Amino acid sequence: MAQSFLEVKNLRKEFGGLTATNDVTFSMGRREIIGLIGPNGAGKTTLLRLISGILKPTSGSIKFKGKNITGAKTWNIVNMGIASTFQNMRPFRRLPIVANVMVPCLSPRAMKRGEWVKKVEAKAMDALEFAGISDMALEKASTLSQGDLKRLEVARAVATDPELLILDEPFGGLSPAETELMAKSVARLHKGGRFGRLHSEGPAMIIIEHKLQQLMKIVDRIIVLNFGTILADGPPDVVVKDPKVIEAYLGDGGTTCS
Amino acid sequence: MRMVVAYIRRVFKILRAEVLVLPSRVAVLVFIAAVLALPLVTQDYYILRIMILTSIFAILAASWDLLSGFTGQMNFGHALFFGVAAYVTALLNLRLGLPPYFSIPLGAMGAVLAGLIIGIPCLRLKGSYLALTTLAFPIILMGLVFAFPGITGGELGLSGLKKLTGSRVADYYVTNVLMLVLGGIMWKITDSNTGIILHAIREDEVAARAAGINTTRYKLLAFCLSGFFAGIAGGLYAHFMRLAGPSTLEVGLSFQVIIWSVFGGMVSIYGPIAGVFILNPFMEVLRIFLDNFPSLPEMRMFIFAALVLLTLRFMPEGLIPWLRDKVESECPRCKVRNVFFRRSCRICNAEMT
Repeated sequence: MAQSFLEVKNLRKEFGGLTATNDVTFSMGRREIIGLIGPNGAGKTTLLRLISGILKPTSGSIKFKGKNITGAKTWNIVNMGIASTFQNMRPFRRLPIVANVMVPCLSPRAMKRGEWVKKVEAKAMDALEFAGISDMALEKASTLSQGDLKRLEVARAVATDPELLILDEPFGGLSPAETELMAKSVARLHKGGRFGRLHSEGPAMIIIEHKLQQLMKIVDRIIVLNFGTILADGPPDVVVKDPKVIEAYLGDGGTTCS
Repeated sequence: MRMVVAYIRRVFKILRAEVLVLPSRVAVLVFIAAVLALPLVTQDYYILRIMILTSIFAILAASWDLLSGFTGQMNFGHALFFGVAAYVTALLNLRLGLPPYFSIPLGAMGAVLAGLIIGIPCLRLKGSYLALTTLAFPIILMGLVFAFPGITGGELGLSGLKKLTGSRVADYYVTNVLMLVLGGIMWKITDSNTGIILHAIREDEVAARAAGINTTRYKLLAFCLSGFFAGIAGGLYAHFMRLAGPSTLEVGLSFQVIIWSVFGGMVSIYGPIAGVFILNPFMEVLRIFLDNFPSLPEMRMFIFAALVLLTLRFMPEGLIPWLRDKVESECPRCKVRNVFFRRSCRICNAEMT
C-alpha cells in the first residue's frame, strides 16, 4: 500500500511558550493497535486531540487514508471514521445513558452505515450492550460510577463505527477486574464483526494508558512520548527494555518498568 | 356507523390507558379543553383580549425555550424575532395589501432571516458573551427603526393593519388554536432525535462534536426554528393590535420572555406556556384588584418580582416541573412516570419506593 492509514508528520502544537508536541512523526497501518505511553505532561492527550480535531496544530500535517485532515472540523473527522474518547469523561450528564449513545448514532456516518437500522435507539442499546452497561440504559448519566463512565465513553465512540479508535486512558480508574473486562472488549472490538445491530470494522486503535501490564497484552506497537517528542517506537518488549524509556519513567538507576 | 362507534371506542380506550393515568396529561387535557371552551362561558371583550395576548406571548416564550432552554444558547434579545416579524408583517400588509394569512408566515420568514443573520456571528460566542451580543441586536434594530421613519413610522410605528379576523371570538380561536398547534409542534421537535442532539449541545458541545454532530448546523437550526415560531407570534401581535411599533423590540419584552420561561420551568415547552398563562392573567387581575388601593401605585411590580424571586428560591427548576415532581414519581426500574399514590408501576409492576 502506497499510502499509510494514518500519517502524522512533524506535528507541533504550542500553548503560548510551551511546546506540547514537538515534531511528532509516525504512521500506522489499518490493522494496528498502538499504545501511546509517556510520563505525565508528555503530550499524549494533546497529540490525541490534534488528531481528533479538537485542537488545531501550530504546524505539521495529519493524513488519514491519504486525505489531509489537518485542522478539519471535529465532526468531519469523526464522520470520516476517527472516533476518540475523553480522558476526563464528558457525558451529557442530565440525559439518560441511552440518549448519550443515541447522539453519536445520529451522526451522519452512523446513520449512513446503519441504513437498515430503523431505530436509532436499538443501535444505541447494542453499543451499550457491547460496553456492558445496557442494564442501566435509562438512568441519568450523572448517576454512573467512574468505571461505567469509561464504558459509556467507549460505547459512544464505538457507536460511530470508527475505522480508527483513539482511547484516552480506557483503564484509568478501573478496578483490576474491570480492567481485565475492558481489555477483553477492546481486543474483541479490534477483531471486528457484528455486535447485534452494531457493526464493527475492526478499527485500528491508538490507546493511551499508564497500566502497562494490561496494555502490553493487547498492543502490537508502543510509542513513547516525552516532552512532546517521540522517545521510542517499536514492539512492546523492545520498548520497555529501552534504557531511554526507563530513564524517562524512573530516572537514572531504575531497573524495571511495569 | 359501526366504524364510527369503533373509532370512538378506540379514542376512549387510548384516553383511559394513556391520558387519564397521569396527572400531568390530565392537566394538559383540561388546559386544552378550558382554552377552547372559554368563549362559551364569557364573551367579554376585555377578558378575550387578555387571553389573546397571553396566547401570543405563550408562543413567544415557548420559542425562547426551544432555543435557549434546549440548546443552551442564552438569547437575551428574543424580542428581535418578535419585532422583525411584526414590522415585516405590517409592511407587507400595508404596502402590498397582503391578507393576514400570507403576511404572518412571510413575516415569520423575515424573522428566520434575522435568526440566520444574528445566528452566524453569534455561533462563535458562548455564555454571557452570547447573552450580551444578543441583547444588543434588538437595540441596534430599534435605532434603525428610529433612523428611517419614512419606512418604519419612527416612534409611532406602523398602524392601521388589517384586523386578524372580523370578530373578537374568531381572533381568540385563531390565536389560541395556533398556540396549541405550534406548542405541540415545538414539543414534538424537542421530543424527537433532533431534540436529543439539542440537549447534547447544551450539556457539552465539545463532546457532541466528538460524537460526529455538526453542532454549528444544529445551533443555526435552533436559531431559525425559534425565530420562525417567535415570528408567528410577532405577526399575530401586529395584526391583532393593528400596530407594529418600537415596543415590540423593547429590552423589557426580551426579559419578560425569560422571566415567564424561568418561572414556568425551562427545558420543557409546556413550562413557559404555563408560565405565561399563569403570570399574564394574574398581573391583570392584580391590576384590577389594586385599583381599589390608589395609595399603592407600584405594588403590582413589587408583587410580581417577589413572586418570581420566591419561585426561583424554592423551586429552582421552575413551577411546573416542581409541581410535576410532586404529583408524579418515576418508577425506579423502568423510569415510567406514575401517579404519586400508586404502590406499583403501571407498566412493569415494580414496587414504587
